[in-house]
Amino acid sequence: MQEFLQYLISGLALGALYALVALGFVVIYRASQVFNFAHGELLTFGAVLMVWLNSPPQVGELGLGSVSVDGLGLPWGVALFLSMLVTGAVAAAIERFALRPLVGRPIFVAIIITLFIGFILRTFVMLIWGNDAMPILTPWDSMGSFELAGAMLDYNSLAAIAAAAVLFVSFGLMIRFTRLGILMRAISSDQETSLALGIPVGRILGLTWFIAGAFAAVSGIFLGVRDYSVDLNLGFVALRAFPAVIVGGLDSALGAVIAALILGVLEVLTAGYVNAELGAFGKNFHMVLPYVVMIFFLVFKPYGLFGTKKVERL
Amino acid sequence: MLELSGVEVVYHSVVLVLKGISLNVPQGSIVALLGPNGAGKTTTLRALTGLLDIHEGRITKGQILWQGQNIASQKAESIVASGIAQVMEGRRIFPELSVEENLFAGASGRPKKDALSDMEKFYARFAILGQRRKQMAGYLSGGEQQMLAIARALMAKPKLLLLDEPSLGLAPKIVAQVGELIQEVNKEGVSILLVEQNASLALDLASYAYVMESGKIVLDGSSQELKDDKDVQEFYLGVGTKQSSYRDVKLYRRRKRWLS
Repeated sequence: MQEFLQYLISGLALGALYALVALGFVVIYRASQVFNFAHGELLTFGAVLMVWLNSPPQVGELGLGSVSVDGLGLPWGVALFLSMLVTGAVAAAIERFALRPLVGRPIFVAIIITLFIGFILRTFVMLIWGNDAMPILTPWDSMGSFELAGAMLDYNSLAAIAAAAVLFVSFGLMIRFTRLGILMRAISSDQETSLALGIPVGRILGLTWFIAGAFAAVSGIFLGVRDYSVDLNLGFVALRAFPAVIVGGLDSALGAVIAALILGVLEVLTAGYVNAELGAFGKNFHMVLPYVVMIFFLVFKPYGLFGTKKVERL
Repeated sequence: MLELSGVEVVYHSVVLVLKGISLNVPQGSIVALLGPNGAGKTTTLRALTGLLDIHEGRITKGQILWQGQNIASQKAESIVASGIAQVMEGRRIFPELSVEENLFAGASGRPKKDALSDMEKFYARFAILGQRRKQMAGYLSGGEQQMLAIARALMAKPKLLLLDEPSLGLAPKIVAQVGELIQEVNKEGVSILLVEQNASLALDLASYAYVMESGKIVLDGSSQELKDDKDVQEFYLGVGTKQSSYRDVKLYRRRKRWLS
């Protein structure tokens, strides 16, 4: 039972991070029908930026034998905030300078462009910060945990769940009740009509990308915290959040979050209970499982759990 | 107040859709723009409201003077802010948004307080919208959706309202209601450019009308003049001659060619 509880929390933490990543995809997809392949690189960028901003200047030997980082040594909270801000700005810049000029072209073109922007961003990060793994610091004891009903709950998982929860709730409230939220929903519902009504579509799309970028930074940072270090391949996790996007229904934010949580828990439980049973085949089977679920959904329920139910008058 | 002179519009750099349109909407009037499918009526509205880019269209010639300023090729956003609002063909409400949110989306350029107080006015006027303010707009009936679309455009406090086929797909009784609404709005000082295929409705409402065919204005005059015009009667109002034989259809084609 303790073991199960431990897996559950760990799975929820992983799921919460997948959910943050998935939300970044969904927000952009809903606004502009673009599947943003640069999202993974935004995760990396945000996390690396965080490390750089937060690490004290010229640390000696620190972390798990990784290289030291000559950073700015800003307080953790400030670094987190700045990292969200800058990553958001980068995302908004991608929208403004790469995608907005493509309005009216096939969406396909825009999607391919994001793929290449991802490569550019990756190269950029590598040129500036190198491609070694860098230790990421936390204000709490990153190895620490406490006991609850016999299960060891680690602070890192709890922090990831808390951060994700705060972002989900604030995003949900924003999209539901604020003026910006209404306009964002209007644009994702019908862009031409939104233009005709004088809604500043370009500006709001930019803001949407900004929000997605800020989410990317947070998810990158907490994924780094989970592994105690950040390197260039962090962004590949974005691909592992992909099944959550599909299972949740490509255009449903709530669906993506729920699916991500389910898949995260499923992944950890599989790693804990099933892998060992499968012998040689079971090595890393948990990594494949989300894709199996995704394929199952694509075949039997292609709109996912919560994909758009079109409202139509009969 | 609004004056188009010699406006030409090209789609995809090759398709010439408007071949020099000139028309005039005086302050406080209702002007109708009639014509069959594909005449370029909707394109004219797009040219007016800056919606051409997303259809890969461009104004290549001519001027659109609005209150003395040339607004040709300006951005949709600034055109709406300058006082021109549009109700697009087919209502185009946001089905997944509530009635209230739809109205709110129409007032994006205005302070929140003004928008909210205007909203109350519309609820008083259209009781049904008031009752269903929290409901998803997709569940409204066609007529209610049209009312919502017009109310939403009015939320921007326009001086000129462009209406694209407001009677499309509505029952005759509802069409009459929409007609009354248009007149009321006009009495409150909003000028109206009404694009219609339903010529008899348009000519009843408007004081002046233009007839468009394949990208050109082929006829214009006061509504009464046009109602009395033989061709308009035959081709748009369906008055008189009972066409039944193929020969008459051919005559119709010939006459139309002559008209343009």
